[in-house]
Amino acid sequence: MNQEIIGGLDSTRCPEIIKILSLGKRSGRLLLNNGAETGNIFFRDGQIIHAQCGILQGTKAIYELTIWSSGEYRFFIDDMPDIVTVDISMDEILNEATNRIRQMDRITSLIPSSSIIYSLDPDIKEKDITLKSIQWKVLTNINGKRSIADIAQNIGLGVSDAMKVFYTLAKLELLRDADMSEGETSVMRVDLPETSFMTALRQDLTRAIGPIAPFIIMETAQDMDLDLLAEDVGQRAELIETLSSKIPDEGMSLRFLDTMTDWLNTEG
Amino acid sequence: MKGTIKDLLKVSGVHGYALIQDKSIQIKLPSKHKFSGSKESIKMLYDNLVPVEKRPGNVVEIFLEDMVLTIFVNGTIMLVVISSTRVNLALLRMTGKLVIANMVKERR
Repeated sequence: MNQEIIGGLDSTRCPEIIKILSLGKRSGRLLLNNGAETGNIFFRDGQIIHAQCGILQGTKAIYELTIWSSGEYRFFIDDMPDIVTVDISMDEILNEATNRIRQMDRITSLIPSSSIIYSLDPDIKEKDITLKSIQWKVLTNINGKRSIADIAQNIGLGVSDAMKVFYTLAKLELLRDADMSEGETSVMRVDLPETSFMTALRQDLTRAIGPIAPFIIMETAQDMDLDLLAEDVGQRAELIETLSSKIPDEGMSLRFLDTMTDWLNTEG
Repeated sequence: MKGTIKDLLKVSGVHGYALIQDKSIQIKLPSKHKFSGSKESIKMLYDNLVPVEKRPGNVVEIFLEDMVLTIFVNGTIMLVVISSTRVNLALLRMTGKLVIANMVKERR
C-alpha cells in the first residue's frame, strides 16, 4: 500500500487519481504540476480536506486542478495541511469535476489556450446584450494586450472560470483576436513541420509545459536561427537543450531531456 | 535512457571521465591519455568549482587546443567529461545533466 503514487496527467486525469486515493482511504498531499503552475490537494482518510492552486483555495482550487490534462502528479503520504477548506462529499466533488471537464472540452474547441489575447470587437451584432457582473469585470480588463491567464490573475479568478467567461463573450461576438484588431502578432497560428523529430519534440514539450509548446519551439528555433527541417543531430540537440532550459520545473525538464536524448540516440 | 556514465561513454568523441564525490576521485581514461594522471589538477578544479555557491548554472566547458572538458557540478559531486573537440557538445551536455541528476537522486 505504500508504493509511490506518481505519474503523468496526460494518461491519468486528476479525478481518476482522486478516486484512487479516496478508495484507498489515503492521507497525504497530492501535488500536481502542469509545467506553469502547481497545486495541492490534501486528503485525510480518503476525504479531501483542503486544496490550493495559485490564489484559489478549497473547492475552486479542486475544480481548477481537475481540468489539467498535461503535467505530473505525485502523492506525499501523511503530508497534512494546517487548515481545512473543503467540507463536501467526494461524490459531489467528482460529479462537479466531471461536469467541468466536459465544459472545458467544449470551451477549448473555441478557445484552445489561456495564453490567447483578445480585444473588444467594435462591430457588435446583437442589439441588446445582458452581462453578468463577472462577465463585465472580465470585459473591462480586455485591452488587446493581456492574455486570458493574465486577466484571470488580475481579478482573482481561476483560469478555467476565466475561460468560461471568455467563451460566453466570444459566443456573443464581443471579442476578436488581438492580432486581427491591431495588426500585432500576439496570437499566432504555428504550423510546425510534420517530421518525426518535430512530432516527438512537440509531444514531449506539450507534456511538460502544456499547449503553448509549439509556440515555444517556433520562437526558440527563430531565436537560434535554426532550420526545423534540418536533419543535423547537433542542431537538434542544441534545440532540445535550449527548450529544456525553458521548462520551469526541474523534474519535468530532466524527463524531457531524457526522452529526447533517447530519441536522438535511437532515431536521430 | 538509464542516465548512467555508460550512456556518456557512448557519445561519439568522448574519451573518458573523472568523477569526484566528496573525497574520492575516480578517473576512467585510456592509460596514455594526457589527463589519465591528472588527479591533482582535477582535484584543484573541484576545490575551485564546488564551493562556489553563486555560480550561475552547473555546466562548465573548458576548451583546450585538442579536447574539451565538460564539467557537471551538482552539490558535492563533480563529473568531468573529457572529449574531442568534434564531439556533439549539446548531446554531451544533455546526457551529462541526466547522469549527474541520477547520481544525486541515488545518493538521497
